Amino acid sequence: MARLKTNLYDVSKCTACRGCLVACKDSNQLPAVMEPFKGNYATHEDTNGNTYTLIRFIEHEDPVDGVRWNFLKYQCMHCLDAECMKVCPKKAYTKTEWGATIHDEAKCIGCQYCTYACPFGIPKYRKHTDTVTKCTLCVERVEEGLKPACARTCPSGALSFGFRDELMQQAEERVKFLRANGFPRATIYGKVELGGTNKIYVLTDTPDKFDLPVDPKVSANTWVWQDWIRPYAGWLIPVALGASAVSFVTNRLINKGDDHAKGGHE
Amino acid sequence: MRWIPEYQPDVERVERFNAVARITHWGHTVTFLLCLFTGLILFLGGVDWLAAIFGGHRGAGLVHRIAAVGMTLMLVFGLLFGFKGYIAWIKDIFRFGMNDIKFLSIFPLDFFGVKMKIAPQTRFNGGEKMNSVVLMTMVSLLVLSGYIMWFPSIFPAGLVRFSYPTHDLAMIFSTLMVCMHGFLGSLHLGSGESFWGMWKGTVRADWAKHHHAIWYEETYGDKAKAE
Repeated sequence: MARLKTNLYDVSKCTACRGCLVACKDSNQLPAVMEPFKGNYATHEDTNGNTYTLIRFIEHEDPVDGVRWNFLKYQCMHCLDAECMKVCPKKAYTKTEWGATIHDEAKCIGCQYCTYACPFGIPKYRKHTDTVTKCTLCVERVEEGLKPACARTCPSGALSFGFRDELMQQAEERVKFLRANGFPRATIYGKVELGGTNKIYVLTDTPDKFDLPVDPKVSANTWVWQDWIRPYAGWLIPVALGASAVSFVTNRLINKGDDHAKGGHE
Repeated sequence: MRWIPEYQPDVERVERFNAVARITHWGHTVTFLLCLFTGLILFLGGVDWLAAIFGGHRGAGLVHRIAAVGMTLMLVFGLLFGFKGYIAWIKDIFRFGMNDIKFLSIFPLDFFGVKMKIAPQTRFNGGEKMNSVVLMTMVSLLVLSGYIMWFPSIFPAGLVRFSYPTHDLAMIFSTLMVCMHGFLGSLHLGSGESFWGMWKGTVRADWAKHHHAIWYEETYGDKAKAE
């Protein structure tokens, strides 16, 4: 595998300007999605078919620190071992050499298996194309040597793009710095979670303070379904059909010219 | 070569299934098969030709949902107009006893055409009892998990995730049973007469006596006649 290229998102530098959201919409030619105000600064409650990324505003009260207002850029995490890829019946998901999980809309049939398998609930159904959509990590831009639109536009330097191993080092240094400078619970997210994700977050607090799953796990439902039921259990049906076919023949051979053939009494 | 036993109107026949039972049965047959073939498109993955029959994946999805509602309506219809029949059916299943175990233990040989002496059976023999239990459970699971996946926003996410493998597994076990049931209830020589029980409602009295001795005695035997 080639060296993984990834996004590093440093929460401590994010001003929640939402420039990334606009750049993403612009680059992917996605129309605006207006949502009513629900008492939260966020423009959207969650990702949707025409919104691949958004900034979340998470408020929480801490007895020591007082009220904290956390921002979080939310989008596909490009898991290195992606659930969406496993459940997709049309194999519409693929991994690029450098680690982006991309989704082929031409293959997608809109069944939304991925929506419910994703530990982050990212892929979303888009009605007018009858497909699911999600962040592409700007695969077309990156393969032309450019940065993803969100990283390109970020004015505060919260988003950067580069090789995963290099960015991981930067992230570790940044976490060390933050821990020494007023954020004792600062941490990296995406290094070990789900076997590593191809998006790295530097958080100023524990993941739960950002509404992120603390220890995301692949649901047992998913692996029982994909690794056991789908490949093996389905064979019971052809076995039943085969046994019936054999029985059809042997019944008529054994009872040839017999009264039995009249339909059932020996 | 004989496919299914001929229908013999001129011999003594006894009623096996009333109209409500038959309508419910065939209603379930049609809706189940529609759901099965449209559902297999996603289960198997690479069968675009199967999707094409239903007008593509979207059309198949629509047929799947319409048939699923139809199946639910058949359940409601059966319970509404044949509630007593359902109770009688369930009661008979719970008469599972030594004779049913004997039946099941020698059944594999009988299945392939070897002549076996079969212990007297109630209205439903050991195999039919098993078929009934499995199908009742699996169809209920299919209906429940199906609606949960259809309307995921009103159910907890964990339940929605659990519904996917449940739906698949219930499909596999019910289809397994439907395959065996479909074969035994028609093309299998020994039990083929039972097809007419579900199609026309009656079976030959001598067949009933031979295959369901206990049921025949209780329902049409001398004692029952005397009452």
